[in-house]
Amino acid sequence: MNVNETALSKYNPLPRVLCFDTFDTTTHGWTELLGNYDGRGDLDTVDDHMRDFRPPQLSSCSFFDVGTHGTLSGNYALKLATRPYPGHTATGIRRLTMAGRGRVRIETHFAFKAEATVGHEAPASVAWDGNRHPSEAQFGAFTVATDICSDGGVRYHNVIRYQNTNLDGEMTNRWMYPVVPEPTPRDHQEGKFALPYAADFTAPDPDDWRTFGEPLEMCVNEVPTKINWHYLRWDIDTSTRSNVELQLNDRVMDMRDVPVPLYPDRYGTLDNLLNFYFSVRTHCGIRNFLFLDSILISVDW
Amino acid sequence: MRHDMRSTMTAVLERNTVVREDFATEPYELPWAQEARFFVQALEVDGPLTFRTEISPDGLHWCPLDDAEHGIDSPGLISWPVHAFGQWLRVRCTVGPGAAGKLRIYLVGKG
Repeated sequence: MNVNETALSKYNPLPRVLCFDTFDTTTHGWTELLGNYDGRGDLDTVDDHMRDFRPPQLSSCSFFDVGTHGTLSGNYALKLATRPYPGHTATGIRRLTMAGRGRVRIETHFAFKAEATVGHEAPASVAWDGNRHPSEAQFGAFTVATDICSDGGVRYHNVIRYQNTNLDGEMTNRWMYPVVPEPTPRDHQEGKFALPYAADFTAPDPDDWRTFGEPLEMCVNEVPTKINWHYLRWDIDTSTRSNVELQLNDRVMDMRDVPVPLYPDRYGTLDNLLNFYFSVRTHCGIRNFLFLDSILISVDW
Repeated sequence: MRHDMRSTMTAVLERNTVVREDFATEPYELPWAQEARFFVQALEVDGPLTFRTEISPDGLHWCPLDDAEHGIDSPGLISWPVHAFGQWLRVRCTVGPGAAGKLRIYLVGKG
């Protein structure tokens, strides 16, 4: 067994691996998402809610108390970091196209944290009791999602979100999905939306989100600087434009009944689009971080 | 694993950001980079803006890297190199009385 096979052994890919991104060497095509702008390169025309998703970083997962933590199996993770601004979202997006239709699987080992507050108290719905820590309630949500377009301009997003807290900072620990497609810059141009800075770009109205599965408590581990790597596997099917299954550590959830809303109109210039993004959103004025040890995307076509 | 080619990475830390008071960019980690360079592009500027490199061991606590100040008072692009830093970098911008600007700020790392 060579080193690459060892690295792969922590995953369970479908037969054809499209990309296996380990962040000890560059960001591997995971980049900041930016909204669209006009035909003259004027970035002032980017929608307010899509202009500041922050550049991904390569992080050694270092903290003020213990220094360098490192990753599951290397030096560097891809880190998404929000601003300390309520509602702010950071993204990393990977842009592919499809050479077929069928099952698509994205897997990652990830960790999530709120930034440590040192020397001052910050609002939190969880009090420190020697086990639980306020930072547990200072993390908002992370999202894994797609942007797919095929078959004559039919566009849709498979979306999963782990909501750790609601917008009031209360613990919810729920998996969620939106029942509307993401507002696009074209929707804005057509007068359907005009969203403010730090609006939820995936689905801005909290009433457009539904829960699925039972509440799921992650491994938070008591302080904001102990990170534990969680395994996530998510299967979708682009032949039926549907969700299939989600696995988080030892919990497997059937997602076949979780709907995937289509856009009502058709989109050009996106033929065979297959984009994936991870995002992290803070619900309070504290930076939220999502660390990705590595990411594997595989298909059955 | 051999790395025959050096790595490079460009982050756009601010994008058409209007500034009217002192600020610092978000913490950015470059633990892998041996050298870095800031670029500040003033799309519009009215009055003097001054920039200094700040470094941090943890992304929470900051100090100046050196005594160098980099000023801009007319539209254009300025740049300065950064050497021998800890792994967090940011820029602190001092906005003169009554001054304002619209900025793009880039950080380039190279390993």
